[in-house]
Amino acid sequence: MLSLALTVFYLVLYFTEALTPVSKALGLGSKWTLYGLLYTIAIVAGGVFVIRRYRHNRYQVVRTIVVMATQVVLAFSVPLILVFFHQPEYYFSYLWPLKLDYGTPGYLFHLPLVFVIYSIVGSMILVPLLAVFFGKRWYCSWICGCGGLANTAGEPFRHLSQKSTKAWRFEKVSIYSVLILCLLLTGLLFATYGTGNQNPGLAKFSYKFQSLYGFIVVAMLSGVIGVGAYPIGGTRVWCRYFCPMAALLGLTQKFGRFRITVKQNMCISCGLCSKYCEMGIDVRSYAQANTSFTRASCVGCGMCAEVCPRGVLRLENVMRPSPRERLIQIAPAPGIARPVSY
Amino acid sequence: MRYVIIGNGVAGTTAAFTIRERERRAWITLISDESDYFISRTALMYAFMDRLERRDLEPVERKVWDRQNIECVRGRVTGIDSAGHKLTMRSGAVIPYDRLLIACGSLPNRPAWDGLAEVQDGLVNFVTLGDLDRCERLTKTGQKAVVVGGGLIGVELVECLRHHGMQVTFLVREPWYWPAALGKPEGLMISEHIRKHGVDVRMDESVKRVNVDSGGNVRGVLTDAGHEYACSLLGVAVGVHPAIEWLPDNGPRANRGVLVDTSFRTSLDTVWAAGDCAEIQFDDRPTVVEQIWYSAKRQGELAARSMLGDPIVYDPPVFYNSAKLFDIEYTTVGNFRIPDAAEFYGRIPGRDVSIRIAEYSGAVIGFNMLGSRWDHTWFERWIAERRSLEYVMEQLHLAQFDVEFGRQDLSEFRRQFAKWPRGAPAVVA
Repeated sequence: MLSLALTVFYLVLYFTEALTPVSKALGLGSKWTLYGLLYTIAIVAGGVFVIRRYRHNRYQVVRTIVVMATQVVLAFSVPLILVFFHQPEYYFSYLWPLKLDYGTPGYLFHLPLVFVIYSIVGSMILVPLLAVFFGKRWYCSWICGCGGLANTAGEPFRHLSQKSTKAWRFEKVSIYSVLILCLLLTGLLFATYGTGNQNPGLAKFSYKFQSLYGFIVVAMLSGVIGVGAYPIGGTRVWCRYFCPMAALLGLTQKFGRFRITVKQNMCISCGLCSKYCEMGIDVRSYAQANTSFTRASCVGCGMCAEVCPRGVLRLENVMRPSPRERLIQIAPAPGIARPVSY
Repeated sequence: MRYVIIGNGVAGTTAAFTIRERERRAWITLISDESDYFISRTALMYAFMDRLERRDLEPVERKVWDRQNIECVRGRVTGIDSAGHKLTMRSGAVIPYDRLLIACGSLPNRPAWDGLAEVQDGLVNFVTLGDLDRCERLTKTGQKAVVVGGGLIGVELVECLRHHGMQVTFLVREPWYWPAALGKPEGLMISEHIRKHGVDVRMDESVKRVNVDSGGNVRGVLTDAGHEYACSLLGVAVGVHPAIEWLPDNGPRANRGVLVDTSFRTSLDTVWAAGDCAEIQFDDRPTVVEQIWYSAKRQGELAARSMLGDPIVYDPPVFYNSAKLFDIEYTTVGNFRIPDAAEFYGRIPGRDVSIRIAEYSGAVIGFNMLGSRWDHTWFERWIAERRSLEYVMEQLHLAQFDVEFGRQDLSEFRRQFAKWPRGAPAVVA
């Protein structure tokens, strides 16, 4: 029911102008400003709820404050102020490939130089570098607006993420498919930009490709399904199955320092970690097998560590080899069990 | 080869998977009277608090049983024919075996209170799926509950009942909460914490009589202090004992539990026992019954290896356990039963965070940590390395396992340690 209402809201927002008069009546101008305001209210209200609920956990408190501040400042106020001063409406908290425009030469190169530099440095250097040191989480669960909504207003839905092997198989195909599409499209747009008017066929094709991508990926998958499916597939449907930024960050994370450390032989297999993982990762299987792990899909929200009643899990940016790893390498005495994986 | 395992708890299930890893073609059967598939008993409270669904209690996906070719049988074993190598079930069915593992776990202790025998409904022990069903039903219909027993399961049950809005009286026979595990200041700190969650905690008070109506429903309890507490749900969590009542006369020898040697062999040929139900005999020290999740998992694996023919000599490692008492996390490692040990106890003023470290003849022997997270493997290492209390206090930060940004500041503990009069009994905060 709620899912239906959210879906209808997004369809109305994206494909009709029904919200425009409402926005005008409130003195907000375009319907997108109204949407931005509603989105910000959802994140702030949800954030207050999350901070209250997890007030004993400093990681959750700090992270949620950053999420709320990013939304209020970078994703809402700054663009409005920029527009007020007749500057382009620029969102510092969104970067290519999540926001395709910022990697699209036709759009990007019309911006003032400072935004161009920020976009390129952000996407090409900041994103991978931070992901190497801190994992995907620096973006997905600290900065990003999609993740921000998921981890604040979406908090009551997080446990609904699909845990089946089928969902995992689908995820592997779908997320990298979108990434490939996104990379192809970006390349195509650069090629079109480079060739200028010499090749009208290419220009027409990339225009069509871009609008199709805009409709399917941006409007349908990130908006309508991404948020509409909260009550059905949990809060991270977009992030888990489709987001090209998450895909790229995830691949970087695999080779970086971030990991979830598992305390040896302390898991009681209660399954709260898996249940409350919004990315549908079977955390329990790793904890049972005493295996510290890094999964490309993990957004580092830290909720597995929060709900674990035995404090088995910890998010870490490890220096390799860490003292902890050296400790684990000590061979157990004879007659003491080694871990079994089910 | 036919491997049959009585009990699909963590010991039995770990054994089944260990055997399967080594013997791809063996026939493996897991028998349980309680549930079709292995459940995490430790997670019962989260199902009661609606944080998990029933199905989430199963740590192993159902299709894995088929894929691993482990047969799960529901039923009760009534007889063991060790000469004929077969089990008889209550249903009359006969299950042949080549090697048998008894991993049937524990049963809740039943105190000798007046009236308890007449109870038909309203009593829970909170250790089985049946208890979970009863709890859920009784919480819907009743308002008041009494929980007896100052241990871990008692406090878990209290937390669940409070979650469902029941008025709870928590009766603890001892002068402070869980004296078997905690020192007095920690016990008092925990009981204060439980009180803050709206629980009527009564120390030094035990049940004399259970009041029952004509239909056999619990109506309340009378205590030795002369108080009467009305209730429709009575939780009894006063420990467990090995489940050996069902063993037939021709079964394996048993004392407190099924007697086994250090390779988990019982007195019967081709019959092993492991987990809560096993009582391990040594050449040089008293017998041991280990009854926690971790020991069951450990023993299950080692017993399976013994059944596979590995030369196993079980030497129980340093004890460790962990728990969450409402919001307070608890990690314990080692031994606190040596009366002459020096114990340093420190607490962060105004917060429910404390540490207690015991030292005996110059080496640390035990850790009891409340309110913050610790990696027990460091404690085990320091105990094995016979480190001094001074060394451990200096290195303590290595063992911290708190969340990022939430690392407990240890300087207060180190200040208290610097002022600690060595060897004096622990100061009550």
